[in-house]
Order: sequence, then structure tokens, then C-alpha cells
Amino acid sequence: MTDVIKLSVFRYDPEKDDKPFMQSYEVAVTKPGMKLLDALNYIKWHIDGTLTYRRSCGEGVCGSDGLNINGVNGLACITPIEGLKQPIHVRPLPSMHVIRDLVVDMNHFFDQYRQIQPWMQTTTPTPEHERLQSPEGRKMLDGQYECVLCGCCTTACPSWWWNGDRFLGPAALLQANRWIVDSRDELTGKRLDQIEDAFRLYRCHQIMNCMEACPKDLNPTAAIDSIKRKLLARKS
Amino acid sequence: MKLTKEPGSARSGIDDWYWQRLSAVMLALLLPLPFVLIISVYSGGVDQLGLLDLLDHFVSRLLHTLLILALIVHAYMGLKVIFEDYVQQIGWRVTLIAGMLVVMSGFGLWWLAIIWAWGG
Ligand code: SF4
Ligand code: SF4
Ligand code: FES
Repeated sequence: MTDVIKLSVFRYDPEKDDKPFMQSYEVAVTKPGMKLLDALNYIKWHIDGTLTYRRSCGEGVCGSDGLNINGVNGLACITPIEGLKQPIHVRPLPSMHVIRDLVVDMNHFFDQYRQIQPWMQTTTPTPEHERLQSPEGRKMLDGQYECVLCGCCTTACPSWWWNGDRFLGPAALLQANRWIVDSRDELTGKRLDQIEDAFRLYRCHQIMNCMEACPKDLNPTAAIDSIKRKLLARKS
Repeated sequence: MKLTKEPGSARSGIDDWYWQRLSAVMLALLLPLPFVLIISVYSGGVDQLGLLDLLDHFVSRLLHTLLILALIVHAYMGLKVIFEDYVQQIGWRVTLIAGMLVVMSGFGLWWLAIIWAWGG
């Protein structure tokens, strides 16, 4: 590995710039196993304080630094510099409105998350203690609950690019499935009603970009298929 | 992206999905048959009269009918999805899908008339 890292970073300040441009930076290697976020932090702290991006946990948990890295969506904090072709092209998540530099408007994305009502809903009286779940029931949530809502999948989905105003997208649908399969949730039918729609759900054409993009190795396509199978079973 | 006022679920969509898949399975089963016929004609296995006899048979007409129905349903569903994907204006979308439905149904009726020799 070389001792400098070359980056080409998307810059845009709507208050000053007519249009976006790519800016080149060279960053020193400061430690072994450096991640892309370390390089961005280096730029911000030592070279150019105006560079704007989101980050928080630095370890793939908060989901705030979803970026398009050499054309592939991923979390900067868990993407190793090693193995990335240089100069590393860093862009905001595709198809999103840029607020500034690498920061995009996630309002619509989270609004779609809200639409699937991501909280437990029940009809039976609240028990004195907690609602219990068997180990088997808990297992059903594996591969669903780990989602950090980074948006890497949804913004990589061509169907969402064309019809994102109505298609809920892979992240929201994975989360919808997370509540549909939760053994403690009692409003499965209502949840299915709310997404049975040619646009909200069936816009997924199984292109599987979402699965490739997910930095947490989750499989939204499989979750969407599982919802479709549930709908089929309900109808049959 | 523009925030749109959420119209909610249409509570439909599974039927489209189901018919698209059902018609795909039917096509996969039935579409090879006409090719078998063509090959047997070209290889000399079946002559013209034999071919007519085969096509005239009640079972062939039935299969032929199923094939043409599956073909139309599948083409309609596929094109509908394409229009929904790429035609953003609802007015155009509805017009194109409706127009397609009319043309395809007309084509299907014409074909069925030939298969069952309606009107002699
Ligand atoms: S599988 Fe479905 S949700 Fe995932 S990228 Fe493809 S169309 Fe989008
Ligand atoms: S499924 Fe994966 S890519 Fe999509 S939002 Fe969740 S963690 Fe991110
Ligand atoms: S900074 Fe939290 S996921 Fe990358």
C-alpha cells in the first residue's frame, strides 16, 4: 500500500456553487487498516474544514455515512481503503437531493420508513411483564433487525429511482417484513394491507441491487419475496 | 426528492403479480408446442393435411386458445409494468395502458375467431 491516498470527492454548496464538481485530495496514511471515513476525517481536520459529510459512530452502527464509493454504495466507516481503486471517487448516495457536499436529504427515505409503522402493534391486553418470545421466534428476526437504515440499498434500487415517490424501497420493505415476522406483533394483517399495492410493494422487480449494496450483508430482496409469499398465502 | 402526499395502499397488486407468473408458467409449457409443429413440418414428418388435422383437433384448439390467452395476458402485464415504470404522467399512463388493453383484446378475439372458425 502506498503512503498517500488519492481521493476525488464530490463538492457542492448550493449557496455558492453553480454546479457540483469533483475535488482532488491527497491524504497521508495515518494507521494500518485505515477506513474511508478516516481519510475523510483527515481532510476535514487537516486539509479542508469546509468538506461536509455525516458520520457518528464510526463503526457501522448508526448508518449515517452511506456514500457512493467508486460507484458502489457503502458505509465509509467500514470500507477499508485497501482494495479501493485510487483515486477513490466519493459521491453522495445516488438519486438523492444534495444538501451540501456528501450530505443528502433523507426526509423522504425516513418518511417511507414511518409509513410501515416500525413499532410493535398489539390488540391483546398488555401483560404484567414483557411480551415473551421463544428462541425460534427471535430467530425469525435475524437478517432483519440488523438494518441500520443507511439507505445504501434503497438509493441503489432502479425501481426506487423511477418510482420512489410511491415504491417504498428495499430498506422500508425489509423493515416492514421485520414487523410482519415478529411473533409478538399482532397486526400482521393490517401491515400486509398497507403494503399490498402495485407501487408500494410490487414495483420491486428483483434486480437485487439492494442486496449487493447492503454494507450489513442483509438481503432485502429475500425479505420482499417473503412478504409476497405471505400475500399469496393469504389470498390462496 | 419531492415529498408527495402519501396516497396509501390500493390493496391490490397481488392479482397482477399472480397472473404474470401463472401466464409465464403456461407459456413455458405451451410455447414449445408450435415450434415442435414447425420443426416436424420442415423435417417432413407432417404433411399439410396432417398439419390441418392436428390443428383442427379439439385438444389442439384448446391448447392453442390457452397459449394465445397466456401470451396476451403475459404481454399485457409486462408492458403495463413498463408503462408504470417509465411513463410518469398519470394521464399518459392510463391512456397508454387502456389503449394497449383494447388493441390486445382485439388481437386476441381475432385470433380466437380463427382458431374456432367463428363465422364459418
Ligand atoms: S431487488 Fe427490488 S428492492 Fe432490491 S434493488 Fe431490485 S427492485 Fe429494488
Ligand atoms: S438493508 Fe442494509 S443497505 Fe439497506 S438500509 Fe438497511 S443496512 Fe442499509
Ligand atoms: S459512522 Fe455510523 S455507520 Fe458509519
